[in-house]
Amino acid sequence: MECGEVREQLLGYQRGQLSAEARAQVGAHLAECADCRRALDAETELSHVLERQLPRHAAPAALVQQLAERMSGAAAAPVTRSRRKRRWAPLAAALASAVAAAAAVLLVVRLTQPAFLRASLTTADLVSEGVNDHLRVVASAHPVEIESGGIHQVKPWFTGRLDFAPRVSFSGDDRFALAGGSIGYFRDRKAAVFVFKDRLHTISLFVFRADGLPWPTRGLQAVGPLAVDAAVSRGFNVLLWRDGELGYCLVSDVNRADLDALAIRIAASG
Amino acid sequence: MGTKRRLARSADRVRVRAWYGTGVAESDERAAPTVGQQALAYADTLYNLARYLTGNAADAQDLVQETFVRALAAAARFDGRNLKAWLFKILRNTYIDVYRKEQHHPTRGGLDTIHADVEGPIDADLLRDDLEIHQLRNVVAAEIEAALMALTEDARTVILLDLEGMSEVEVADVLGCAVGTVKSRLSRARMMLRRRLKHYAK
Repeated sequence: MECGEVREQLLGYQRGQLSAEARAQVGAHLAECADCRRALDAETELSHVLERQLPRHAAPAALVQQLAERMSGAAAAPVTRSRRKRRWAPLAAALASAVAAAAAVLLVVRLTQPAFLRASLTTADLVSEGVNDHLRVVASAHPVEIESGGIHQVKPWFTGRLDFAPRVSFSGDDRFALAGGSIGYFRDRKAAVFVFKDRLHTISLFVFRADGLPWPTRGLQAVGPLAVDAAVSRGFNVLLWRDGELGYCLVSDVNRADLDALAIRIAASG
Repeated sequence: MGTKRRLARSADRVRVRAWYGTGVAESDERAAPTVGQQALAYADTLYNLARYLTGNAADAQDLVQETFVRALAAAARFDGRNLKAWLFKILRNTYIDVYRKEQHHPTRGGLDTIHADVEGPIDADLLRDDLEIHQLRNVVAAEIEAALMALTEDARTVILLDLEGMSEVEVADVLGCAVGTVKSRLSRARMMLRRRLKHYAK
């Protein structure tokens, strides 16, 4: 085998994908050729570099939201479509026509969609979302995917599972214990879920990218260093606040003073 | 916003969760998600490839949007076998249709001609010009990204598809070339990448 031929086989050799015959031929050549041995090492190391070092770009939350809207809007389900007809009344005829025509129309619709979506969301929706997500945590048989041995076990677990790093380093204390964490969703985006325990009460903290959500600017209350939007919904206390690019939503059935106490601990640690 | 509209939105959200497989028990109106909905699970992967093909976030978003539009229009023709490969193929063809035509950066592919990174015989220069393993160990993210971006689109694509864990058969399907060609394209593209890295990682 010539060097050029061997070089083409090196990746397959390294990955164990060659036939027995080819493997033997490449092996024989490698035994005699230092250049190709070096190329094999470089090939192996390049795989490591690509896997570990090459940045992965996650789709922006706004893009995923638009795609999700479009995909459900064009879904074939009769129930969904009837709802959509109301929503896109002027386009109903186009949507009902051929798939290709619908796709073309959607291309136009997408340009106006983000503004429409933002306008249609209110802070009350965020509060409601927080309560729904908290209920899901409480109802789940396995509310945490990573059991807590402290924040230093929980936080690294999120790495690679989210496209942002949740800034939380409160690891629990005598009053509030950190039970663990999991990956959840807050509306359209991924969220880091931290589950705390206050005696028998469960407290959920959701941390997520804040962009594109209707963050309240008026009627905020000072809780420690935070300016929070405080609400009571379906018997749960909800605190919402924003810190730079990240949004925080703290939900529980504990009383407001207790929830504030935890929020202050989280803020102090962040 | 009206209650009905909100209900519709909340139903959408349940589906979004279901597509991402994060296990919400509430039942959907339909048992099987549509092709478009399943495709959402690949949004990040598609965006990543689009980002490396176009080299910037704005074009990458447009490319992914257009890919979904085309996928939706062609959903009836999807054979149901390999959604990921099918979507990658649409993304790549869309890129070639839309972006290559109006290529704003004719020199982005470096000094080589379009196919030089993936075609042609492996000459003596390339055989000798490999970098030392200690050089690779010190490569940082910015260097590997810059080196990759300096390759031609074809070379970049084949490296990225391989990195996604796609088989030679799948890559051949995406690129529309023979299976046998994939192996030589990939090894040559990776050699070119190492040569670039040699210049970045001195």
